[in-house]
Amino acid sequence: MESVSLFIPCTVDLFLPHIGEATVSLLRRVGVDPIYHQEQTCCGQPAINAGYREQVKKAAKHFIQVFGDDEKVVSPSGSCVGMVKFHYPELLAEEPLWRRRAEELSLRVFELSQYLVDILKVEDVGASFEGKVAYHESCHILRGLGVSEQPKKLIRAVTGTQLVPLNAADACCGFGGEFAIHYPDISESMLKDKAENYLASGADILLLCEPGCLLNIGGFLNRNFPGKKVMHLASFLAQSQETMNNER
Amino acid sequence: MEIKTEQFSEVAKEGMKNAHAHAFLKLRAPLVKTRRETALSTFPDAAAAQAYGAVIREESIARLPELLEEFEKNALANGAKVFWARNANEANQYIVNLAKERGIQYVTKGKSMVTEEIGLNEALEKNDVKAWETDLGEFIIQLLHRPPFHIVGPAINIAIEEVRDLFMEKINLKEPTLDPVRLGYAARIFLRDKFHRVDMGITGVNIAVAETGTIINVENEGNIRFAKSSPRTQVSVMSLEKVVPTLEDALHLVRLLCRNCTGQKLSCYVSMDSGPKKGGEMDGPEELIIVIVDNGRSKIYHDEIAREAMRCIRCGACLNSCPVYQQIGGYAYGWAYSGPMGQVLNPLLLGLERTQDLYRATTLCGSCKSICPVGIDHPRLFLHYRAKDVSGDAALQAKKRPVMERIFFRLYTWAAARRWLWNGGVRIVRPFINKEVHQGVLSKVKGPFGGPFNGWFRSRDLPAMAEKTFHDRWKEKQKAESRKHKTEGRR
Repeated sequence: MESVSLFIPCTVDLFLPHIGEATVSLLRRVGVDPIYHQEQTCCGQPAINAGYREQVKKAAKHFIQVFGDDEKVVSPSGSCVGMVKFHYPELLAEEPLWRRRAEELSLRVFELSQYLVDILKVEDVGASFEGKVAYHESCHILRGLGVSEQPKKLIRAVTGTQLVPLNAADACCGFGGEFAIHYPDISESMLKDKAENYLASGADILLLCEPGCLLNIGGFLNRNFPGKKVMHLASFLAQSQETMNNER
Repeated sequence: MEIKTEQFSEVAKEGMKNAHAHAFLKLRAPLVKTRRETALSTFPDAAAAQAYGAVIREESIARLPELLEEFEKNALANGAKVFWARNANEANQYIVNLAKERGIQYVTKGKSMVTEEIGLNEALEKNDVKAWETDLGEFIIQLLHRPPFHIVGPAINIAIEEVRDLFMEKINLKEPTLDPVRLGYAARIFLRDKFHRVDMGITGVNIAVAETGTIINVENEGNIRFAKSSPRTQVSVMSLEKVVPTLEDALHLVRLLCRNCTGQKLSCYVSMDSGPKKGGEMDGPEELIIVIVDNGRSKIYHDEIAREAMRCIRCGACLNSCPVYQQIGGYAYGWAYSGPMGQVLNPLLLGLERTQDLYRATTLCGSCKSICPVGIDHPRLFLHYRAKDVSGDAALQAKKRPVMERIFFRLYTWAAARRWLWNGGVRIVRPFINKEVHQGVLSKVKGPFGGPFNGWFRSRDLPAMAEKTFHDRWKEKQKAESRKHKTEGRR
């Protein structure tokens, strides 16, 4: 049995643990045995984005120690994968041994949909949902990892589901970590556009693969358009139609 | 040009309130995107063409000192004069003197961002030399006394009604009209008269070619060619990073520039000057003076990461695709260069201290990087500048981060390296965060951890912090399973 190591982002660990559980059950359903290292914490993205490069090196090394020997590491977040894949080797550039470990690890870290479609060659995970969905192309998944077709292939293979187009699907939803805190007006304006495009798409659910976008768009919809759903692709694929229709 | 980078947030708010500009930018974005993509698709391999542009500019910047010397040598051999200006003041003073010595009353100008950067128009006017902007957009904002809204289309945000009223008041438009062709014609008649009598024309430079000493201008209105060929004296101002090694390199950049800028395969006019009019030639200026402006660039040249910003060829594609620019427009950036290209360039030229917002008001979405024809990694530069603030880099005039932030990141990175500490932190913080939970949802956080969340909660909710994290849940399940195994084993 194929086994993969789970890299659970801190946002999922602390605020959205059900996405982690959905990832586990989805992987098991396609015949993969997920393992979880309990020593993992956070990849350090907030600190790297805020410029605290020196301070975050210890956390990056901790991450490499925890995951270093795993054959494949899978995460339900593109921006966290991007941190490990692209930023760690640069962050540790001046320490050759660590840099090599980071570079080696960077080849073995995958975003969930990328892992399912590109590595496992699985598209139909046996899910079904009667209705329309739209897909939001998160920045670090689309432009960071170049992942766009993979989630759509998974969605198209769901029985009864119609993937409808979303206007400006590749536009940022306005979170950007500290950006949303320091520039709330600009962030809100971007978020409103995203929500409007979702409402206009006629979809029943907005799907995405990034926990950060889920918190952002979900938080806005919850306050302004309660009942409009946004879901992580892992949750969507893992749940049966019955449980989904009973939600809320 | 007055530097207003420190007023970013206020001006951004005003920008978002401007319904006309906001609606226009929203409407424009998909149109510009399609035009650009269609134009790029005329390359046999668009990605390879863009990548080649990146290589050319990377080489140009890496060999900059040597290429500039080669350019100067060849430009002089062509009969041009070359003046090196260390800063804005030197450039302005030199050009003012040129005008004074020649007894010039007014000059015509082709659109040039570097002359906006150095504030040339203001310097000329202070010395009683009138400067007429002759690019239609620049002409409009000059009459309106407004800064450029976009590096390529400085007046794209101005409503046509406003242009009509402006032209009726300022340039003798007789009949009110909203017909863009007739408005353009009115401006053309007015400016044609200026070209007719002009003695000195001032332009920018899109590309300078080291191997031939040629300067190249790319435009659509013909006004730059007028400003270069009508007067006796032509002054071409270039920032020093504009040079490329060969004419072949330059031509590839022209192809990229036009496609990425306006979605054209080629602009209506591309003019190349290798020296002034030579004996026996029909037209052209009698003297060609090239002013090479440093203005802080050589000071940051040693920073091999930051100098990537100098690859920019000013196509403006990054502005067009930027989700933040689309919300706030071009004024908030507070200087000549706006949008992502300004966000990477202005901090280098003005120092980090007064350009904080430029590299912080970004979601790091990477849209700019993904379409840049010269391979600038804008998000990487933003993070580079942020790291310079944290490390207190004096050369870039870094600004120290607030104490509370420094403490927070120290604690956070400390905990992120140790799971036991991380778990402890979660247990301490959770009750404070979850104080105001209603049905599993937070719409505010009060107390010591509330401050940073205010911006978030202005427009959105947040799920409560899980009472059982994924970590806790996994552990419990493991325990339950091993118990099950044990009982099964006993049986």
